[in-house]
Amino acid sequence: MKKVLAILLAGMMTATAFAGCGGSGNASSSGSSNSSGGSSAKASGGKVDEAMFGDETNISLKVWAPDKGVSLAKEQIETFKKMYPNIKFKNIEVVAQGENDAATQLVNDPNKAADVFSFPSDQLNKLDAAKCLSPVSKAFVEDISAVNAEGTVKAATLKDSKTKEEVLYAYPETNDNGYYLVYDKKVVSDDTAKTLEGILKACKDAKKEFVMDCGNGFYSCTFAFTGGAVIDGFEDDGETQKFKEYDENEAVDTLMAFAKLMKEYKGTWKSQDPAQIASGFKNGTLGAGVDGSWNSVADKEALGDNFGATKLPTINVNGKDKQLISMFGYKYLGVNAKTKFPRTAHILAYYLSSEECQQQRAEKIGWGPSNTKVQETDFVKNDVTLQAIAAQSKNAVAQVNIQGTFWQAMGTLGNEMMKDGWKPDDKAATKKLLQTTIADVRDEG
Amino acid sequence: MTFVEYKMLNPFQRFAYNFKKFFKNIPSAIGRFFKACGRGIKKFIFGIGKGFKNYGTTFVKGDWATKLSYLIFGVGDLHKGKTYKGILFFLVEVLYALYMIFFGWGWFKDFFTLGTRKTYVTYDEMGFPVNHPGDESMKILLYSTLTIVITAIVFVVYIANIKDAYRHQVMKQNGQKPTTLKQDAQEFLDGKYHITLLSFPVLMIGIFNILPLIFMILIAFTNYSKEHFTLFNWVGLQNFGQLFDVINSNKKATTFIGIAGWTLLWAVVATFSNYILGMVVALMINKKGIKLKSLWRTLFVITIAVPQFVSLLLMNQMLQENGAVNILLGQLFNGGQSMGIKFLTDNVWTARITVMVVNCWVGIPYTILSMSGILMNIPEDLYESARIDGASPVKTFTAITLPYMIFVTTPQLITQFVGNINNFNVIFLLSGGGPTTTEYFGAGKTDILVTWLYNLSMGNEQDYGLASAIGILVFIICATLSLIVYNNSKSMKDEEAFS
Repeated sequence: MKKVLAILLAGMMTATAFAGCGGSGNASSSGSSNSSGGSSAKASGGKVDEAMFGDETNISLKVWAPDKGVSLAKEQIETFKKMYPNIKFKNIEVVAQGENDAATQLVNDPNKAADVFSFPSDQLNKLDAAKCLSPVSKAFVEDISAVNAEGTVKAATLKDSKTKEEVLYAYPETNDNGYYLVYDKKVVSDDTAKTLEGILKACKDAKKEFVMDCGNGFYSCTFAFTGGAVIDGFEDDGETQKFKEYDENEAVDTLMAFAKLMKEYKGTWKSQDPAQIASGFKNGTLGAGVDGSWNSVADKEALGDNFGATKLPTINVNGKDKQLISMFGYKYLGVNAKTKFPRTAHILAYYLSSEECQQQRAEKIGWGPSNTKVQETDFVKNDVTLQAIAAQSKNAVAQVNIQGTFWQAMGTLGNEMMKDGWKPDDKAATKKLLQTTIADVRDEG
Repeated sequence: MTFVEYKMLNPFQRFAYNFKKFFKNIPSAIGRFFKACGRGIKKFIFGIGKGFKNYGTTFVKGDWATKLSYLIFGVGDLHKGKTYKGILFFLVEVLYALYMIFFGWGWFKDFFTLGTRKTYVTYDEMGFPVNHPGDESMKILLYSTLTIVITAIVFVVYIANIKDAYRHQVMKQNGQKPTTLKQDAQEFLDGKYHITLLSFPVLMIGIFNILPLIFMILIAFTNYSKEHFTLFNWVGLQNFGQLFDVINSNKKATTFIGIAGWTLLWAVVATFSNYILGMVVALMINKKGIKLKSLWRTLFVITIAVPQFVSLLLMNQMLQENGAVNILLGQLFNGGQSMGIKFLTDNVWTARITVMVVNCWVGIPYTILSMSGILMNIPEDLYESARIDGASPVKTFTAITLPYMIFVTTPQLITQFVGNINNFNVIFLLSGGGPTTTEYFGAGKTDILVTWLYNLSMGNEQDYGLASAIGILVFIICATLSLIVYNNSKSMKDEEAFS
């Protein structure tokens, strides 16, 4: 008896070694509904001919949307089902999945991942490298290119590695993934918000802080971009980051101008995570900050009527005011290449990126539309943040085709300039820093 | 130096003597270690040679059934009347053949190229994309590894089959009868009980630990990275070469050497600061005449009740430029204005020292806990006799308490040292590797090897091949150091000293 017990115990001990390997269920919503609806014609405005579904029936799909968008996506999918009364849908479930690691999750196990998912533009290359994206159906390409902003479509267009054709890989969803200037109108007036020097001075005079994250490549690339060192996709090898031709002296002068302001306004200009901006406004320690569109609701709440938002300011370099150039991304809807119902998945993604759905998203969850018609609606035109984002997007570099080495190198650039020991007047050191940064981005170390 | 001479030295001289001796012994210890490795390898090679020899001689001496067992498993056993074992052997061969035909070979044939067919897309008549999946190197490598391991196991069974066939042949020549199934089963509950007990755990460890380990080690020899995600290739020692390429001042080599140096320094300081300070606090609490002992003990142990990552993230917040520590310092010394010291993001050594100090907060309670237990366990009669002999408190400490504690805790020290080399939590959650630097590739100044490895695999770089190579090197460093230290410790050499 003792021996049997010993065997059991030994077995249990090893069982604990992999006790953590269990799977976890996903919350989902489902329900098939069939009710009457109008018939459809060809592919435009999100609607297609029912013949396009081909022989797909008993359709079950999984859709990933970020937490905030889940309930809206469910509503939109119900509408979608009603649009095609003759197609048999078994189950279209919506699962909450943060966009920030949508690509990682998808690449890890494409067979269990969503069929249609929302992702930001910087993950496009990763998804393409892993061959997880099914390119946009040729039936929809024309319509999508016509109704969406040019930049959005262009950023999702990559060269196919085999045929060298230009292929549109994903359905545009938003045009708002960027950062802009938010300020407390009591501290910074609309007029002073136009120049960085003015903002910093106003903040310092009011004993308030100005927050811009200099250690995060997403924000600190502004320093290099403003100086003209702008990225431009990849070299021909498809791996090395390409830069547009730029005047090194000008870039160095710009960096020195930034570093000078950092030194001059030490204690005012704080390099912090933008997540702390809203609480800073609430506590009254903050005068202005560079914040992302995803925090705009919290910022608005914190400042109330004093909430100001506009494009990034200008900086004075050798007597000339230069507009700050930022990084700007888009969000897309992608279709999983391993989906079992490719046609339905494409038709659904097409519908979700349509004018109707973008309008709903702008109104209900405040996502900036990429559809040019929605961009012209009163609702979008009257929204301060959406307008600030739209204005900044004209002075921005698309967040696509970016090498992984980019982020850390740019973050280090900002960190180095922020360091107490950094000398803003040291032209040689600044030049070396710029050169090292560019070499690191291009992985030429 | 003789024992008497040693006893005549004062404590400082003794310490200097021991210190010198320790460092003088290091080269010979390392030498012994490599000699032992050499012996092991030699033994292994000789073992293989012997195996081949036996393989040949058995074939020559075997009868027809034994000879046939070289091709068909179990024939020898069946022929000699050991039916059940013969059938089992034969089943293994059949199953292996089926596995190879229907699964294993399909993957293994691509093992040397890791796949060549690319994924591509075509469009159907309505314009919808049709996906044509190509090879996936990852799966090829995974299933090939599985196939290799299974083949190795079957090979072991094959050799056992031959040995068994020959053994039964000899038994038959001597007029003995083979044992029955019932007898064998009985044997597994008696003489071979250890096999019954351990086979399941060993099997599970094989599947869940060894197999993934082989797979991960193999990745170090490929160029698996973001650029080669679906299809990758063997690159030999290129990943290791990059890490040691000092001559061309490769940035990865600079990073590796810089980080490896800091990792060792960090591990030594983190281990001994916790150990010594923990011991001091434990001694103070355990001292006779201290009141409310259990209260103090509980207070220190409470810090363990807060999960480590929570305290570390809190510390990280407190040490920010606008964090609690700076505000407090400002209130005390700067007239209410925040000091604005950048503990973790600016100066290299400020950040490194901060990390080490915060690590004490996390680590000391554990040392106190184990030390208190050990202190309470030291036989009281040792102290009593020391008192009778008129030993001073310092003397009792150096002659009884310290040796006893070091003796008991050496293995624990080694574990802690290795744990600190791989102390991911403290670095990652506290400083995140910062301050960043332009000198390193994908790492900051407080990054240690594991956090760098994490950056390389989970961060933006996604250079899995390089990360895997670093992992192997970390293992080699840890294993070598622990073996050398453990084999030279008193706990190993003189197991019975205090029992």
